[in-house]
Amino acid sequence: MSSESPTDRASRRTRILSNHLTTSDLQVGGNSLQSNICLSYSPPELHEKIEFEVRKMRELLDVHNLQDRDWLFGLMMQSKLFNPQEKGGKVFVMPDFNHTKEQQREMTMKRIEYLLERGVFDGWLTTRGPETEMRKFAFMETLGIFDQSLAIKIGVHFFLWGGAIQFFGTKRHHDKWLRDTETYRIKGCFAMTELGHGSNVRGIETVATYDPKTDEFVITTPCESAQKYWIGGAANHATHTVVFSQLNINGRNQGVHAFIVQLRDFDGNICPNIRIADCGHKIGLNGVDNGRIWFDNVRIPRENLLNSVADVTPDGQYKSAIQDPDQRFAAFLAPLTSGRVTISLSAIYSAQIGLAIAIRYALSRRAFSFVPNEPEVLLLDYPSHQRRLLPLVAKTYAMTCAGNYLKKMYVKRTPESNKTIHVVSSGFKAVLTWHNMRTLQECREACGGQGLKTENQVGHLKGEYDVQSTFEGDNNVLMQQVSKALLGEFIAAKKKNKPFKGLGLEYMNEPWPVIPSQLTSDILRSSNFQITTLRLRERDLLNRFAAEMSQHQSSGVNKEYAFALGYQLAEDLGRAFSDRIIFETFLNDEGTVSTGPMKDVVGKLRSLYALTCMEEDAAFLRYGYLSTEKAAAVRAEVAKLCSELRPHALGLVSSFGVPGAFLSPIAFNWIDSNAWSSSSA
Amino acid sequence: MASQNSVMAYNDQVLVEEKSLTRILVLNRPKQLNALSYPMISRLLDLFVAYEADPNVKLIILKGNGRAFCAGGDVAAVVHDIRKANWKSGAQFFTKEFTLNYVIATYTKPQVSILNGIVMGGGNGVSMHGRFRVATETSVFAMPETALGLFPDIGASYFLSRLPGFFGEYVGLTGARLDGAEMLACGLATHFVPATKLSLLEEALYKVDSSDSNIISAIIDCYSQQPYLKDQSAYKRSVLSPHSSHFSLDVIDRCFSRKTVEDILSALERESMGKADDWINNTIQSLKKASPTSLKISLRSIREGRIQGVGQCLTREFRMVCHFMEGKLSKDFFEGCRAILLDKDRNPKWEPARLELISEGMVEQFFSRMDDEEWDDLKLPSRSNFVLPRHAIAKL
Repeated sequence: MSSESPTDRASRRTRILSNHLTTSDLQVGGNSLQSNICLSYSPPELHEKIEFEVRKMRELLDVHNLQDRDWLFGLMMQSKLFNPQEKGGKVFVMPDFNHTKEQQREMTMKRIEYLLERGVFDGWLTTRGPETEMRKFAFMETLGIFDQSLAIKIGVHFFLWGGAIQFFGTKRHHDKWLRDTETYRIKGCFAMTELGHGSNVRGIETVATYDPKTDEFVITTPCESAQKYWIGGAANHATHTVVFSQLNINGRNQGVHAFIVQLRDFDGNICPNIRIADCGHKIGLNGVDNGRIWFDNVRIPRENLLNSVADVTPDGQYKSAIQDPDQRFAAFLAPLTSGRVTISLSAIYSAQIGLAIAIRYALSRRAFSFVPNEPEVLLLDYPSHQRRLLPLVAKTYAMTCAGNYLKKMYVKRTPESNKTIHVVSSGFKAVLTWHNMRTLQECREACGGQGLKTENQVGHLKGEYDVQSTFEGDNNVLMQQVSKALLGEFIAAKKKNKPFKGLGLEYMNEPWPVIPSQLTSDILRSSNFQITTLRLRERDLLNRFAAEMSQHQSSGVNKEYAFALGYQLAEDLGRAFSDRIIFETFLNDEGTVSTGPMKDVVGKLRSLYALTCMEEDAAFLRYGYLSTEKAAAVRAEVAKLCSELRPHALGLVSSFGVPGAFLSPIAFNWIDSNAWSSSSA
Repeated sequence: MASQNSVMAYNDQVLVEEKSLTRILVLNRPKQLNALSYPMISRLLDLFVAYEADPNVKLIILKGNGRAFCAGGDVAAVVHDIRKANWKSGAQFFTKEFTLNYVIATYTKPQVSILNGIVMGGGNGVSMHGRFRVATETSVFAMPETALGLFPDIGASYFLSRLPGFFGEYVGLTGARLDGAEMLACGLATHFVPATKLSLLEEALYKVDSSDSNIISAIIDCYSQQPYLKDQSAYKRSVLSPHSSHFSLDVIDRCFSRKTVEDILSALERESMGKADDWINNTIQSLKKASPTSLKISLRSIREGRIQGVGQCLTREFRMVCHFMEGKLSKDFFEGCRAILLDKDRNPKWEPARLELISEGMVEQFFSRMDDEEWDDLKLPSRSNFVLPRHAIAKL
């Protein structure tokens, strides 16, 4: 290099650049439109082949209400309210994150009013049944693709406030509130979390005392740690809230109950004896007006107790069909599972957005050459770049199927399936939201500096979605709950000497499997090997966990503390359980695809998913499910699968069905969108 | 063996003028209002492909001979072919036509279409995808397919869906006619030049020695005018004006944004309640006259088109058009042609006759691959050897 003169260097550079054009892009007959020799944007659509039908693949992922989704995408794309911006000849819709939080909140509310007027929320609370619920899910997923704040604000109003009325309330509440909620005549929020208590809802300190003289409850915030915190909608817009509070009857605490309290009058003035403060600017979701609430002996009519589980008679007697306070509390929270379902799904759609952007960018951005004077190489043609992104694509596919499975299970719920839904939704919510955060970070880095620009989504989304690992149950706590539930199954089966039934644990009734001694490519890619290995991990971890628990307990440690000590195995087990079910749902969906190019690709994704799970979790090596040689074979196969999936990358991310307008400029003509002529506008 | 007639048609129905680096293509079937025949489409495609490779061509002008630009595809001939042979021979017309539409949409050199007079159906396919569309005071635009038992094809689901708000749904479903000023206002036209200035404009374009869009645009600008948008223009109803309290200004936006055709109709009927508004009544009437199957399929096509690239739109529309030609799922296209073009009784008997008889499942079938092993999806020509201009890249 040092011997090269500046002119040599210049001419070499010119040669390299012109090679780009002659080898790939130069138009026959010359082209006067591009007179200068420069990198030009070469759209992946023109040079990438898609060998399966994208429409069919999208159906496999989106499954239901596709026309409804497309309609809603269109509603957003066609309205100025959704801040359309032209970049590189394409129109993108995205909230203006340069707005102050106050402006963002007002825009969120205006968007809701627009969607309301167009009939998007018709029937959300006034009709019931699986069809309505699936449509609502589809709309929530679609809205979240535009803006997480918008989805959350709507989710709080319909799923938390509306859901509380539906599930905790009885006919008198339904008649009084549901229609007005659906039309946004009233705006609801959901006051559960307090400054001092989040996941441990039973510890909240707000108190409701019954006053038989006036037939009223008196709601009080007794101390600062009892202030309601993070209440979405409370800071600016909500007129009503559901308040979770300890119920005090004649000096006796009956546990946590839910009450309706009006926060504002219809002119937006805060009601007497209520104080509301803002939670302030956040790392994301600034379109949601999170607030804090204090209740200064607020009096509400006795009828405002949501009384589906328990009631108070006018003379102050407490009545509940469920005597055990633990069970009563569980009955209370069971219907809130829908929150974890929507969070899981929105996490996966966010991962889809990130990957669609990063992969499209990697199919148009080049860096370095393998051979001097040759054109630079597309990022995605680097095996390392494939290894970074394609396993995440495979996981996203698998988890999309898992999310769909969870949705179906939720809408078809029965009293018997509640426990399964609780366990599966807990595991999925944690695993899917963590997956999203990790995916966004990888995508951000894979886009280099461009990933840092807010307009390019991938970096910004990290802030918007970070909350998902915390709200509706801290992920770590949820994972422990999964393990606790599995331990319960284990103990029950062993004690009663009965076979395992439910949660997909039936395989534990079979003898322990043997992993083949030679892992050929065929074996590694067989679903039989994959499921066997994933089950082996789960089963062994459960046995180990149970052994550790009984060891702790026999040494005199109480159950709860023993559980806290066993956190390592508990976390591993929670993940092993979730990975295994995700795999099973993906395998099941693969079975619905008819033979052809699409099935081949889905099969590769399934293998990549399974083998990546094995590669990433040290438990396979730590506990010897795979020997070091076998682990090396798994790793080699992962790389091979990545290179085999590389040609399908564009088709795979196109099948996510996220319209281009909801991606970002770097996913398309990033040269033109950064041109000087674009920057003056 | 190509008959002598078709060779003659190939040469005569599109005239070519060469002026230095500009090529002027003249659609030349004035008696048929320049309706696109198979030979015309073949010739146009050959010419476009050849000019793309020819460094001595910088600019293409497309115009019509006589009082129309182009009244559409020669549908009567297609129906004739299908009657004579089978649906596939009719469908071949569309293979060629949609391929031409795609080449035009992704063309590397600028095309200026002079949209003097009628521009409808297939006429839009050869102009709207091009870089510059010049409207005049005589321009009459329409996509009238729903009245014919078909749907807005030729890639219309791409460009209609990208009109402001829900104007595209309105135009595509009702077949509403737009004048030159409206075409400019909604973006179907890029320029408005009075008809008297067209020859001057053309002369100026003959001298062009560059394919630079900015230069061409600047030349057309010199002859352009801001036309007067008439007060009762439908376009004024499509945009929400914050400064106006007039009720109907955003009526198109409110009604045509609805989810289904039934919802759109009832929204319009709600708007019409208690007031005599010719525009709303005419709009309702055109929807009621159109083929119900066509309406449902057109709405879905526009909605899907909104989130698809132009190539995807054309391949999807090709499937749809094949289903219509095959006539298994619906015979409305043949009935429409009978009633409008052949018998001219203007009284088509649609089947099913009412919107509510058409389920989502029935609509879905029009979007599926043809159930015929010998028939393939539309294969668009590869454009990977070209450096596409930015506006073409944006359409992918």
